[in-house]
Amino acid sequence: MGQAWNRVLTVGGDHVDTPEGSYPEDGDGGTLEMSYQPTACQHCENAPCVKVCPVNATFTREDGIVEIDYDKCIGCRYCMAACPYNARVFNWEDPQHVPEEGTGDVEERPQGVVEKCTFCSHRVEEGLDPSCVVNCPADARIFGDFDDENSTVSKYVAEYDTHQLLDDKGTDPKTYYIQGEMSPGRPWKGKELEEELDEEPTAEEPADVTGDESVSGAAANPTGGDD
Amino acid sequence: MTEESRPHHEPIPEWDEIADEILEGCGYDPDLGKRMAEDAIKIANGELTEQEFHERYHEEVKAEFGTDDRPTKPEGFDD
Repeated sequence: MGQAWNRVLTVGGDHVDTPEGSYPEDGDGGTLEMSYQPTACQHCENAPCVKVCPVNATFTREDGIVEIDYDKCIGCRYCMAACPYNARVFNWEDPQHVPEEGTGDVEERPQGVVEKCTFCSHRVEEGLDPSCVVNCPADARIFGDFDDENSTVSKYVAEYDTHQLLDDKGTDPKTYYIQGEMSPGRPWKGKELEEELDEEPTAEEPADVTGDESVSGAAANPTGGDD
Repeated sequence: MTEESRPHHEPIPEWDEIADEILEGCGYDPDLGKRMAEDAIKIANGELTEQEFHERYHEEVKAEFGTDDRPTKPEGFDD
């Protein structure tokens, strides 16, 4: 099987997908609650995984995305030990595509290398949102450019309560978790596979961030830099 | 950031065990991997400089991997 780049952690009852709290009695008084936290590579500004890689296979691109050169990776797994988010996985066996035709133009990763979320850099380079953003049915994920203060993601982070995972580590993730009353984030580019593009996609209007609907979202800055 | 307000690295309680599992049978020195991993976090929160980190492990990394291509190499550092 292929590897999971994005894990959805649950906070609730004793088991995955069991809520905490109690069911309502006589139609009243229920306290059931469950929270979800999608957790993938946080694309840290101060990425420990990058610093420990002896062959410089893990690197930070100019746009801030942390990526892996599979031709260089020797599978030592030092980066996995250094990642405080447990966001990396090791290919113990030859990866298999399900379905066989694959799910996009993701570069094939061989056996014996470490892999992780790339923010779908192959799509970003074509002006498209990452696949997780496009396919999230709740539109809970927002992707954009923090260097642009008018981008949707910048507006959300400026407007609402956000936090970064394990912020005491100083890794400065480029992924933010947003809480509060807000309108759902909207993908700002088309949902086509990059190979289906026949012309440059056009950006939609930035989302109105003053709505009153509730959603949790992860916002990310693919362009890195000093934000 | 003042020394008082600087967040010091507190390893996740389970990290030691997790790191052991990750690095078991990796084909390289697991102890070196653990020490480097912990110190890389210390760079992130300001307890260690990249230069100190690079110098601290340079010889061991070269001995283990035959090369040291980490991006932490200080300018003018003599291999």
